[in-house]
Amino acid sequence: MSHVLHDIEKQIVKELQRGADPYDEPGPDDSTTRLYEEDLSKETKLSMDQIRRGVEWLRQKKLVDVSDSTDNSYSLGKNGLDALKNGLPERRLVNLVKDCPKTFDEIRSSLHGLDFNAAIAHAKKNGWINIEKTDTGSKISLQQEPTQNSDERLISSIGDSSQKIAPQESLKSLMERPDFIIEHEEKRKLVSLTETGKHIDLEKLDSDAIDVEADVPHVHAARIHPLNDTINEIRDTFVHLGFTEITGNLSQSSFWNFDALFTPQDHPARELQDTFYLKSLNAKQLATPTQIKNVSNAHKKGWRYYWDVQEAKKMVLRTHTTCVTIKHLADKKPDEARIFSLGRVFRNEKVSYKHLVEFNQVEGVVVGKHITLRDLMGIQKEFYRKIGLTKVKFWPTFFPYTEPSLQSMVYNEKLGKWIELFGMGIFRPEVTKPLGITKPVLAWGGGIERIAMLKFGLDDVREFYNNNLSWLRTATKCQ
Amino acid sequence: MPVVELNLSRLQKLVGKNTDKKQILDNLPFLGLDIESLGRNVVRVEYSPNRPDYSTDFGIALGLQGILGISKGMPRLKIRTKGNYEIKVDSSTSKIRPFVTGIIARNGSLDDEAVKQIINMQEDLHFGLGRKRKKSSIGIHDLDNISFPLKYTTTSRDHRFVPLNSTKESSISEILHDSEVGRDYGSILGQSSKVPIITDAKGQTISFPPIINASLTTVTTKTKNILVEVTGIDKQSAEDMLSVVVAILQGAGFQFSQLKVSGSRNSTPNFATRTVTFDSGPVNKILGLNISNSVLASCLKKSRLDAVVKSKKIQCTIPRYRFDIFGGMDIVEEVALGYGIDNLKPAWPASVHIGEKNPTSEKLDSTSRLMTGFGFMETLNSTLTSEQTLYEMTNRDSSQIISVASSKSQEHTILRDSILPGLLENLSKNIHETYPQKFFESGIVFSKGSPIKETTNLACVTASEETNFSEMKAILQSLLRIGFSIKCETKALSNHALFSQGRVAEIIINRKTVGYIGELDSKVLENFRIRTKVVGFEIKLSGLIFD
Repeated sequence: MSHVLHDIEKQIVKELQRGADPYDEPGPDDSTTRLYEEDLSKETKLSMDQIRRGVEWLRQKKLVDVSDSTDNSYSLGKNGLDALKNGLPERRLVNLVKDCPKTFDEIRSSLHGLDFNAAIAHAKKNGWINIEKTDTGSKISLQQEPTQNSDERLISSIGDSSQKIAPQESLKSLMERPDFIIEHEEKRKLVSLTETGKHIDLEKLDSDAIDVEADVPHVHAARIHPLNDTINEIRDTFVHLGFTEITGNLSQSSFWNFDALFTPQDHPARELQDTFYLKSLNAKQLATPTQIKNVSNAHKKGWRYYWDVQEAKKMVLRTHTTCVTIKHLADKKPDEARIFSLGRVFRNEKVSYKHLVEFNQVEGVVVGKHITLRDLMGIQKEFYRKIGLTKVKFWPTFFPYTEPSLQSMVYNEKLGKWIELFGMGIFRPEVTKPLGITKPVLAWGGGIERIAMLKFGLDDVREFYNNNLSWLRTATKCQ
Repeated sequence: MPVVELNLSRLQKLVGKNTDKKQILDNLPFLGLDIESLGRNVVRVEYSPNRPDYSTDFGIALGLQGILGISKGMPRLKIRTKGNYEIKVDSSTSKIRPFVTGIIARNGSLDDEAVKQIINMQEDLHFGLGRKRKKSSIGIHDLDNISFPLKYTTTSRDHRFVPLNSTKESSISEILHDSEVGRDYGSILGQSSKVPIITDAKGQTISFPPIINASLTTVTTKTKNILVEVTGIDKQSAEDMLSVVVAILQGAGFQFSQLKVSGSRNSTPNFATRTVTFDSGPVNKILGLNISNSVLASCLKKSRLDAVVKSKKIQCTIPRYRFDIFGGMDIVEEVALGYGIDNLKPAWPASVHIGEKNPTSEKLDSTSRLMTGFGFMETLNSTLTSEQTLYEMTNRDSSQIISVASSKSQEHTILRDSILPGLLENLSKNIHETYPQKFFESGIVFSKGSPIKETTNLACVTASEETNFSEMKAILQSLLRIGFSIKCETKALSNHALFSQGRVAEIIINRKTVGYIGELDSKVLENFRIRTKVVGFEIKLSGLIFD
């Protein structure tokens, strides 16, 4: 196998092949050169960041081995530095008694706060002094003129920098004394060439080639929000199926949101706790006088109560897109049509992993003399096929303004279960007749976030509106 | 949707004919019953609010028997008219709760599970059909402690009796003030000094509708005979409610005797069926089927209605408790359910249509494409937001605020009139991510105007140490030029709450101000905990690139 190496990699291999080992430590076999990343950086003049990347690339190509090593180095503490400058306490003690023996008190006052007991103990251990008992108390006298000992050599060899030191008795004993030696632990990476790495001939490598197999960093694209991506896909799919988009306001009168859809004014769905009413705002123009009269009559006949036009004027944030559809149909009265409406809808709910106060809904309707319920099932099945959902079945359900009503169930392979998606049904005559719509109207639709959650593998719907940049940058479609 | 918990082995027994559990579970969805959760022997199902008869396993068993073909057609209802059960209505009730109706059910037995099911039914009826007991409410009593005739009348608020689940007498006022049901439903009676009451021949109080029954008539598992009374402000709704109770109690094995009702505007309930006659043609047409009259009649019977073919027409008889059936389309649904939704095969309509996106969506699409091309990430924020984000943190003028009533969420109380504050919030949530950060959003904003105006705006921000005003102006200019061949100017503005003084301009197109551009004010940024420089603009797209 021939290798294509990046310039950084070449420099690292070259340095390792040069065969210098500053620490002269035996490796697994003696011919292996091992270098720390820091040394590689020093020798090649590459930055540590470049070295780390290069070593990682080489490791993946199995050209180098990397082992972690913990390195201990030592520097002098407060007392150590003092000893470097003025000598160890025991040396200073000996110097005091060199000429004549002195009493404990005399020595204690001359040693300015040094650990007097330790000084005596070490000087005694080294055989430098004698302690004589006299009538005037104990006196310390010189036993023999001391030469420089190993503790002193260690201190001067460390000096005022940090040094690597082979284990020895003096190191151990000085470390037991307070504040003389500080130990530093450093984790480093030791790099060595593998057998393949050793035999790479850098001269023979094609210098113009680049490593086309190497890993590359992730880059982030600016993109359409994942939820809008799904919305666009759904909008396009409706258009492909022959539907034309209509739009309408998010704020609506209760008339179009509820009354026109035969929802009685005392229905629980119309209460404040489910629907957002706009504080002290009433619709100025509701609908045509005929539309109002006919809807009012339908309510009186069907639900037997006093229908109040003031209640119908209250402004709400639309609870479904059906209000847009029904107004369009009431105004245009088409004999044949395929239209759809898509956008935000609102429910006064507690926000949770599965509920939002504001979410997106799509709803399509087919109007036609000859349209059938089976046709609508077929359109819906085709819709699901286009967005990648192939296992679909239908169950009966209930919606207040359609009859019969069905819900579609879609099998999700990843979750291994059937999931309820769009609903469908035929608009009740109690809805269409008062508004002068004479042809059957078949409607279908539902929430979009649910589909987007399947597509992006989310189990918390709030994620769509968190706008978490790391998620926006990396979110991927799973179907 | 309401939920009922069913014991599977009990349901098996009710359905009969050795049905197995799998058969039951497979068929529940085809009655419109969604399985919400499933235990070893317990299943919780969601049922439609228009089918209160499915609030008990008795009602669901009837439906299952139908689609499984075990028992078809309408369950026959027999009511003995003999017997001296009567309730007399005093005209004083007419001002407060004018109607009462009821039935005597005898020789049944109620075990614990049956009592649980009936309580579930009662709660469902009170909530839905009864509109939280306001329109109508039910009382169920042990018949054996009652002497007839009964009297439905009114009494004063100091009237005393022992209420259900209590051993000591209380006054009406105490019940309304001290008990949970009293506090929940007392408002139905308003400030009226007289309240409705049902007493028996001995003068004993048996019920204080719509609040609570008397302890005297408590139903237990030993109860064999019961009295059901329904009171309300709408006669038909009270009788609707009673008809459901009767259908359920029939399923539980009770036999019925009439309760005569007499007095102003009231009458004895008659559980009359309705008959509709129709052609099979329109039914077949809307379903996309071609089934014979006899098959169609059989489908209706599987939906527990009666149907016969008479001179090429279908004659369908609907029991009293199926008041959810309004007209023709409801019959179509019953046919579809009897036929089996699974047997309806999806088809493809012959007509050809050419679909079209709305021009506004098209234009917004190209705006988004350009903005991502300029390197801006799209974010999405709620149009329903909080005063804190929209005004307090941005120091903006809140005099034209549009609020919603009684929001359950503190973060969603007012409609946004600008998009930029939301983008600042997005930056604020991402201060730990790498910079530069560039966001845009297009969407609806609201303003007051007869009664409310909705316009579509576009806003974008760049957050980075190196960014500056001209970078943002370059984006704005290029977007409008490349996307829509529009030339724009920027004109210095003396101050704007969001932006730094001396670094803010109005965006002018055809001599009209359509938005603002500038460097965000450092105090505003501080409020959002943003530590880098931010530039941005917001521009009104409505009236500019679409209507």
